[in-house]
Amino acid sequence: MRIRKHAPPDNGMPEMLSIQSVKKSFGDSVVLDDVSLQLKQGDIALLVGANGSGKSTLLRCVAGLTSFDGTALVLGADPRSAARRGLIGYLPQLVALPEAVTVGEVVAFFARLRGVSVSGPDELAAAVPLPDGFLPALERPIGALSGGMRRRVALAAALIGSPPLVLLDEPAASLDEEHSASLWETMKALRAAGGTALIAMPLLVTSLLRHDLATVADRAVLLDRGRVVHDGSVESLRPTPALGGSPRMSAVGDSRPMPAVGAQRLMSAGSR
Amino acid sequence: MSYRAVFAVAGWEFRLAVRGRLVMGTALTFTVVCVVATLLGLRSLSELGLAGVGPGTAALINLAILFPPLMGMMLGANSLSSARERGLLPLMLVQPLSRLDHVAGVVIGLVGAVWLTIGFGFGASALLLASVAGAADIGGLLAIVASALGVAIVAVALGVAVSAIAGSRLQALGLSMGLWFLFAFAIDLVLAGVAASVHLGPLGLFVGVLLNPLEAGRVLMVLASGGDALTLGPFGAYLNVTVGAAGATLAVCASLATWTGLSVLAAWAGVTRREP
Repeated sequence: MRIRKHAPPDNGMPEMLSIQSVKKSFGDSVVLDDVSLQLKQGDIALLVGANGSGKSTLLRCVAGLTSFDGTALVLGADPRSAARRGLIGYLPQLVALPEAVTVGEVVAFFARLRGVSVSGPDELAAAVPLPDGFLPALERPIGALSGGMRRRVALAAALIGSPPLVLLDEPAASLDEEHSASLWETMKALRAAGGTALIAMPLLVTSLLRHDLATVADRAVLLDRGRVVHDGSVESLRPTPALGGSPRMSAVGDSRPMPAVGAQRLMSAGSR
Repeated sequence: MSYRAVFAVAGWEFRLAVRGRLVMGTALTFTVVCVVATLLGLRSLSELGLAGVGPGTAALINLAILFPPLMGMMLGANSLSSARERGLLPLMLVQPLSRLDHVAGVVIGLVGAVWLTIGFGFGASALLLASVAGAADIGGLLAIVASALGVAIVAVALGVAVSAIAGSRLQALGLSMGLWFLFAFAIDLVLAGVAASVHLGPLGLFVGVLLNPLEAGRVLMVLASGGDALTLGPFGAYLNVTVGAAGATLAVCASLATWTGLSVLAAWAGVTRREP
């Protein structure tokens, strides 16, 4: 696994990601409402929320793929120009790679776009900042891969060149346990190399997964109906029983009712 | 503009296109009909020569003006719209390249695929002609091929523009087929119908040709293959009197270049303004 080291943060350098009062609506439907969030270099943050809470839309705003009101800056630059400078790696929630190409051709293509030299198979494999064995065999066509394998290739495409800011939308979806563990190890290595990541995740179901993620991520940002309702450690998020027969989610110091999503998937945000 | 990124995208699009059924099917069909047209036209070729714009030449010109542009428009229409629907476009647009780089790469890659098809079809024709044709005839064929390559660029650019603007892949494919029908047949039929009654005159017809990239391509092929401009009827006569064959060639080339430039700009605007 080869992850490019990023220069240590400079006091005069702007924050890696600064989101201020971002709002986004589709017609009358408000998807993001006054979202603010800052990430310093080396931060790994989870963006957690129920379906439709605005996680994917926020990542698309930061990736420069959708317009919004408010400010989002990546190292002081607007998202589109940051992407053009190669500062952002992005994995969409749903991506279907063409079936007629091989894994190696996908890797080589995205490596060339990022200016990474890939003249032979060894360089191809080394261009991917993921553990050995994470990628399926380079000569296999995408059409012959399972959903989880395709997801791993798409993930590799997003991480090639070790961009300073990585935006991953439910990266572990379709991955088995072994490859999920590899993914989180990669995130740890990314953080150690000075990289920054914002990772959208569905509500954390098990305490075991939460414990694993706590070793990877510094923070968990909880989105509810487009608003940030909690920003704290991963372990501060924990399941909570339904309250009085009416499933709710609440954060300490925040008494706003949360959407009913099923008692077993609920969690509450503890003290920061 | 990042040429590295443009050619990376071009290589990717070319690879995807030539592995698709559309290109393989069209290349095969185009080659077969080119061979058939050449065999049927060999008799007239031996009497008139290719440069005489006989039936054989006319058949090759009509094939070149119908098949590759249809293929180019459909490939172009499928490009961005398909990538958008597959979720691939967001992944591509976050890479270190501008929207214009991306559009240029897509157009170049798909033009390469259409050129390959043209190469197969006319390559087979050239092999058949080699035994009976003289140097002037081969020159005429090369002129037709060169013109067909130019028309292919316009067709792909138009298709990519449609792809960038259309709401879905199906809509893009439908629109591109509609455009092809409009340029290949409908405008001619309308012009033929109204020319006498509204007194378009030679100048009106000339403008009509310039506004139709496929017709401009057909005129270019006739002129480039050494045919007398008079073979184009009233329009040809008008050309001879006013700007001459060289001027007409320049005019239709300018028309094709303008269509290409405007299409690429439209595609770029579509990709820039529309959320992937």
